[in-house]
Amino acid sequence: MRFFDSHVHMVSRTTDDYQRMAAAGVAALIEPSFWQGQPRTEPGSFKDYFNSLIGFERFRASQFGIKHYCTIGLNPKEANNEKLADAVMELLPLYICKEGVVGIGEIGFDDQTAMEEKYLRIQALMALEADLPIQIHTPHRDKKTGTIRTMDVLEDVGCDPAKVIIDHNNEETVKAVLDRGYWAAFTIYPHTKLGNERMVEIMREYGSERIVVDSSADWGISDPLAVPKTAALLREHGVSLEKIEQVTYYNPLTAYGQSGQVQESDWEDTEGIDPTALFAGNTLLRGGQDIKEAMGGDLIIR
Amino acid sequence: MVPPLSDILKRSASADAINWLNGEVVALRSDFNQRRFYYAFSGVSRHFDKTARVNVEAGDLDSLDAPCPGFTLAGWDEFRLARVILLTVLAEQPTDIYQSTLEKVLGSADLREQVAIFSALPLLPDPDFLVTLARDGSRTNIVDVFDAIALDNPFPAAHFPEEAWNQLVLKALFISRPLYRMEGIDDRANPTLAEALSNLAHERWAAGRVVSAELWRSCANCLTDSIASDIERVAVSDEPGDREAAALIVAEDTTGRFAAIREPLGDLIDAARSGDLTWESLGRQLASA
Repeated sequence: MRFFDSHVHMVSRTTDDYQRMAAAGVAALIEPSFWQGQPRTEPGSFKDYFNSLIGFERFRASQFGIKHYCTIGLNPKEANNEKLADAVMELLPLYICKEGVVGIGEIGFDDQTAMEEKYLRIQALMALEADLPIQIHTPHRDKKTGTIRTMDVLEDVGCDPAKVIIDHNNEETVKAVLDRGYWAAFTIYPHTKLGNERMVEIMREYGSERIVVDSSADWGISDPLAVPKTAALLREHGVSLEKIEQVTYYNPLTAYGQSGQVQESDWEDTEGIDPTALFAGNTLLRGGQDIKEAMGGDLIIR
Repeated sequence: MVPPLSDILKRSASADAINWLNGEVVALRSDFNQRRFYYAFSGVSRHFDKTARVNVEAGDLDSLDAPCPGFTLAGWDEFRLARVILLTVLAEQPTDIYQSTLEKVLGSADLREQVAIFSALPLLPDPDFLVTLARDGSRTNIVDVFDAIALDNPFPAAHFPEEAWNQLVLKALFISRPLYRMEGIDDRANPTLAEALSNLAHERWAAGRVVSAELWRSCANCLTDSIASDIERVAVSDEPGDREAAALIVAEDTTGRFAAIREPLGDLIDAARSGDLTWESLGRQLASA
């Protein structure tokens, strides 16, 4: 069993995390551009950050047999500093067509200000220009309104919902997102976002079509094994292997594969760490006990 | 488009990819704008095959606008050549646009893009401006980027000031790169470099380590008494290539100072005189070991 974590901020994680992810079967991942816990004050900080996403972090991941992709963009939190945001808009064209850049992201709303909308529009247009998927961050506060407003803006700009992955969904947003034709991603992140027992229920109701599970692990208390753990938990609850593979591997691959910058052959031909060698066949999902041990005892993320 | 480079690319690349590149070249020439160049330069990865080697034939480079001795496309992939073609188109722009665009692209380049930029140096104008970029680039720890500057590239030998050239040779040895692939390695030999190389050898010997026998190549024409005694030491070494290196130096020496080691090196000196043993063949032998 292999996993594709389509949202994880590896610059904030250690090599121990890379080792555990590789051992748990994470074959590939996407690192979205985001803020770093505190606002940046200079455009050059963005340039060096983007350089690390297309450079050193890619290399670091490769040391563990994991293929690293990224999305490039100005996150909504930092979109409220207009002078800085304008400078970042000048930088983005240097990066968005690069090899391994699978989308513009993560962009969207935070406080839902006019300034945030301005840069969401500019970046959505850039995605159209470069023919790239868009990775959307939905706000923590007033999430439902912000999610719908995001879709309104994207459609106004002319984006195709089939090329947009809306992330950090919950029970309140999922229906509208799927109904309007978008990919709905769910971040399994302890305390502040979504626990994986809730994910089991969501899949019972909505199935697996256009649904994506990711970790969004970052500099906060989060879990880089959220995707394999959720896969194992789904299996324990009797969800079919096929559906599990869809939400943890094939759906993100198809959604971001529209960039032309990621395909399964990228890692099939490389000698990554083979999770089946560590977990003997498909025991990752079939032998719950072994997995619990490998994952540190508990599959449930609350 | 940009003959002869585009003719070479056509041999391996798909017709779609060539059409796309041709379209970009035409558009950039008729109405240059930076964003279009950024998209095209990075976007090469969307159209070409990074695993496909370009197919170079003898005489291909004879029709380059400016002759460029030592310039080679051997081992290049399609990404590299397609990007070098775009860089030659950028170079047709007014100097300020050419320079500022190149700086921006290099400042945000991924590994393959950096390799392409440094490979293009011999074909680009304003060498003084490029020397600064290349010297910065050669401080990298990424071997592929270093190789693009230092190996199979005539630019450093043609344009680096002496101190930069010397650092390049020393760094190549530090990171175990093959010196025989440095264009102009013999022409740029100088006494300061020879002394630095000898010091490097002594430092390694003191630490109980070995140095590449290729190190002595740049000392061959700068033999001080001290370096001559290094050669006498190397002549009786068991390390790979050391005796061959000593023989190559002794074979060229006309001062008669190496009388003591001529005898034991006899066969190798004969091989050096007949051309069977050269610095090139020694370098290849060490690189393949």
